[in-house]
Amino acid sequence: MAEGFDIDHLAKLARLNLTAAEKVLYSLQLNQILGHFQALAKADLPATIDLARVVSESALRSDEPGPVLGAETVTRLAPASRDGQISVPRVVDDEA
Amino acid sequence: MDEPLHTLSAAELGRRLAAGPLTSRALCEALIVRYHAVNKKVGAFTHLDEGDVLAQADASDVRRKAGQGRGPLEGVPVAIKDNIAVKGQPLTCSSKMLASLVSPYDAHVTERLRAAGAILYGRLNMDEFAMGSSTENSAIQKTFNPWDLACIPGGSSGGSAAALAAGLVPLALGSDTGGSIRQPASHCGVVGLKPTYGLISRFGLVAFASSLDQIGPMARCLEDCELLLGALASADARDMTCFSPSDRALTPAGDAKKLRIGIPKGFLGKGVGAEVATAVTAAIEFYRSQGCAISEVELPSADLAVPTYYVVATAEASSNLGRYDGVRYGHRSASAGTPVEMMTNSRSEGFGAEVKRRILLGTFVLSAGYADAYYMRALRARSKIRAEYLAALATVDVLLTPTVPTPAFKVGEKASDPLQLYLEDIFTIPANLAGLPAISVPCGKSGHLPVGFHLVGAPLSEAKLLAAGRLFEAAHGFAHQQAAL
Repeated sequence: MAEGFDIDHLAKLARLNLTAAEKVLYSLQLNQILGHFQALAKADLPATIDLARVVSESALRSDEPGPVLGAETVTRLAPASRDGQISVPRVVDDEA
Repeated sequence: MDEPLHTLSAAELGRRLAAGPLTSRALCEALIVRYHAVNKKVGAFTHLDEGDVLAQADASDVRRKAGQGRGPLEGVPVAIKDNIAVKGQPLTCSSKMLASLVSPYDAHVTERLRAAGAILYGRLNMDEFAMGSSTENSAIQKTFNPWDLACIPGGSSGGSAAALAAGLVPLALGSDTGGSIRQPASHCGVVGLKPTYGLISRFGLVAFASSLDQIGPMARCLEDCELLLGALASADARDMTCFSPSDRALTPAGDAKKLRIGIPKGFLGKGVGAEVATAVTAAIEFYRSQGCAISEVELPSADLAVPTYYVVATAEASSNLGRYDGVRYGHRSASAGTPVEMMTNSRSEGFGAEVKRRILLGTFVLSAGYADAYYMRALRARSKIRAEYLAALATVDVLLTPTVPTPAFKVGEKASDPLQLYLEDIFTIPANLAGLPAISVPCGKSGHLPVGFHLVGAPLSEAKLLAAGRLFEAAHGFAHQQAAL
C-alpha cells in the first residue's frame, strides 16, 4: 500500500520543511507505521460507510450573524498587524 | 475534620464549603501551598494565575455568604487541560506554535463551570496538540507519574491525571481522542471518563480529530467524576455534533449488581502484562461475586482498531492543523519573504516531531492515489467496528477490559518508537471510533504502579458505567488515593 511514498512531495503538501535527517527518520517511521496498516488492506470490509450520526437535525440553525470577536481582539492575536488589519508578506509584486 | 484539604474529594470539599466555616479562599490558598511544594517534582501544571484564582475564590465566598451559591461545585477548584479555552488564560496546547496565545473566549465547558460556581484553577500539561500517550511530547515541560517520578503519567491528558494523583487539585478536565483521558487515568490511579460522542460540547476545545475528540471529567473517585460530568454535559448549538436537549437523556443506571458484563475474547491474552491481567481478572471475579452475569463476547475486528484510528485521526489532524499558517494567530517565522515561506517556516518552527509525523501521515493517507486505499477503507473499517460493538452491547450492558496493556513505562523508554506508543491505546481506541462512553477505574497495582480496568457501554449509558465503578470502588477502597510525594 505504501508504494510510491515520496517524503519530499509529502512535506511540500503539508507545508513543512524537513532536514535531511528528518527525511530519513520520518521515511523510516512512516513506512513502519504504514506497514502496520496492511491489516486494513487485507480485511473483509463492508461496501458502505455507516457511521454514527455526527450532526443532529436540530443543529441546522438560521443563517444569521452571531457574536464575533471584533477587529481589536483579532488584530491583537495576530503576529503582525497594521492600521487595524492583519499584515502578511507581500503577495503580489508592484510590477506584476 | 483534620485531614489536609488536598486529600479530600471534590464532593466532600463542596459539602464543607456549604456547611462552613471552610471558605473557597482558604481552600485555594491551601492548594497553592501544595502547588509550590509539589508541582516542580511532577510538572503537572504549566501555568497557575494565583491572583486570578484567589479573586474567583473571593467572589465565590461572597456569593455563598449572600445565599447565592450555585450548587455542589461552588468554590471548588477545577484544573483545565491546556487545549480547552478559558478567556484571558494561556491556550498553548503545550506547543511552541501557540506559546504566546491567550484565549479571547471561554469554551462551552468553561462557561458551564463558571455557571456552577467552580474555580478555574490553572493550565495542565499535555502532549502537544493532544498527540501522544506519555506527555513527553509537550514543548513546555515533561510531566512525571506521581507514583514513580521516573515513569510517564500517560497522555495526552498526563498533566490532568498527575495533578489529581499528586493532590494538586480535586477535579480536572481532559480530552480524549483515542484514550487520552482513560490511559493516563489508569497510569495514575484516578478515574477518567470519555463521554458518548455528542454529550459534551467541543466548542472551545482545540481540534485534533473532530469526529473522535471529546472533553471529559477526571477525578480521584467516582462520586467526583459523576459530579463533574453533570456540570459539563449540556446542549450547545455552537457544536453541531452536540446532542440537542431532546435526545441527550442518559439511560438510567439500574442495579449495578444485575449488570451483564461482556469480556471480549482474547483481550486478556497477548500483550497484557501479568499483573495487569491478574488485577483485571480479580475485578471480573468481584463483579461475578456481586451477582453480575459475566459472559465472553466476540469482537472479531478488534485488531483493526489501531490502524483504523491512526488513519482517521491523522487524516483529520492534517486538515485541522492546516489552520496554523502564521497569519491570524500563533507562531510566525521571522524569516519569511513570501506568504508560502511564511506558512512553511512558521509550521516547521512551531510544530514538534510527533505533530509533524502525524501531519505527514495524515497528508499521505488523504493524498491523490492513496485516499481510497487508506482513508476510505479506514472509514469502512470504522463502520464495521462500530457495528460489532453495538451488536455486543445489545447482549450485555458493558464490556470490561484492561485500560492499558501494561503499567506506566519509564520516561524516554518508548520515545523513539512511535508505533509502540500507538499500541498503548489498543483497548481505548474502539470507544472513540464507535462514539461510545467509556471509563477507567483504578483496580490495583503492578508493583507500585496503578492499574485500571476499562468499561465501555452503549451510547448514553454513562450512568451505568459510573454505577458499576462505584460498586467496585466501595468494596475496594481505591477512592481518593494519592501518591506520597
